[in-house]
Amino acid sequence: MAGRRALIDWLARIKWGELSLISLYISLISGIVVGIHYTPSEPFYSASALDILVPYGAFFRSLHFYSSQFFFLFAVVHYLLVFDKSQSLSTRDHVVLIISLPCILMLLFTGYVLRADATGYSAGMIAEHIIVTIPLIGEPLNNMLFAITEHGMYRVYLHHVISFDLLFLYLAWNHLRRYRAHTSNHLLFCSALLLFSLLVAAPMDPEKLGISYITGPWFFLGLQELLRYIPPFLAGVVVPSALVAALLLLKKEYRWYRRGVIFICWWLGLYSLLTIVALTAHG
Amino acid sequence: MPPTSPARRIFIAATGLLFLWPILRLIGFKLPKKPRIVEVAGTFQNDRFINRDEFIIFTADNDIWAVSRTCTHLGCRLNFKEEEDILECPCHQSRFTPEGIVLHGPAKAPLKRYAVEPLDDSSTYLVTIS
Repeated sequence: MAGRRALIDWLARIKWGELSLISLYISLISGIVVGIHYTPSEPFYSASALDILVPYGAFFRSLHFYSSQFFFLFAVVHYLLVFDKSQSLSTRDHVVLIISLPCILMLLFTGYVLRADATGYSAGMIAEHIIVTIPLIGEPLNNMLFAITEHGMYRVYLHHVISFDLLFLYLAWNHLRRYRAHTSNHLLFCSALLLFSLLVAAPMDPEKLGISYITGPWFFLGLQELLRYIPPFLAGVVVPSALVAALLLLKKEYRWYRRGVIFICWWLGLYSLLTIVALTAHG
Repeated sequence: MPPTSPARRIFIAATGLLFLWPILRLIGFKLPKKPRIVEVAGTFQNDRFINRDEFIIFTADNDIWAVSRTCTHLGCRLNFKEEEDILECPCHQSRFTPEGIVLHGPAKAPLKRYAVEPLDDSSTYLVTIS
């Protein structure tokens, strides 16, 4: 018990929110650098050319990829550790902050799709097929967000570089303007991230004939597995929306708070299980 | 600025709702694609198939046809497994025959099949994508 408390105290001393913000800055800057050589009409060619031909292209693509992943992960850890404090937020502030999490995921996901390699292209097509199953608004929503079959990567690119960024800034603005993060206080993290990006290449899966199993981004592995068993609308829309809805209702003052916590624990547990199955059962 | 009256607010909301459906219909409308003819130059690998991003051309018993490589489950790009003579989806392992018939789900619908016309030089083919 004391060990657990000590671990939580130690974790709480790390400024996860600042680390998340610094990762976001690095992600945005490296994204601009990477974007100079990215062509949405030739997505795979331009993305792989970054790795192979463009001087330091592989480094900046890695930096963009990993800083974005850290941005999301640190934001989640930050949320968990300041959960008690977040209870004092107004309902509106609470709602917009929770919605910013799926918004970050969409930023990560569109970036994943944009490289248009075997996994990126398939992930985009799956997203498109899931969205069109939404009654009434499915087709228009897909036409606005993805429409890869009809228009290639244009829509995805547009939303990755503009729409989702603006939406995230809008949602998190009240939060961000109150807090500052100074790179000079996190030089160790920045150096480690730069070194890591230099040494570890960002994923790129060119198409190989006869390959029998590809996996999507780590945060959608559970969803990929679930799509095997239940209809796309349930797996891709209802199940993820249920988690977001439960998070939105996660305020101690609400009478369903306890049930919400139990539901989220079950949801995350089952999703982790599905992720493990996706990683181990089909290779 | 004078406050908006409830009747006016209801009118604005009703007008907005009235426009929502045509707007959704317009945005969601897909213009039917014109049939597209793709010229493919190449020789059949192992006298059996020519692989392209969008489709695979097969030949057997003096017949030539092409099937789409888009899985009918969720749109992933299918791979041809030559040894087993099947097309398999790398995302959820749906399987199809070279003729496009479903062998194993979760896909339920068969693959799109396209007409192939060989040109005189016998190494160029016209595939009509419709």
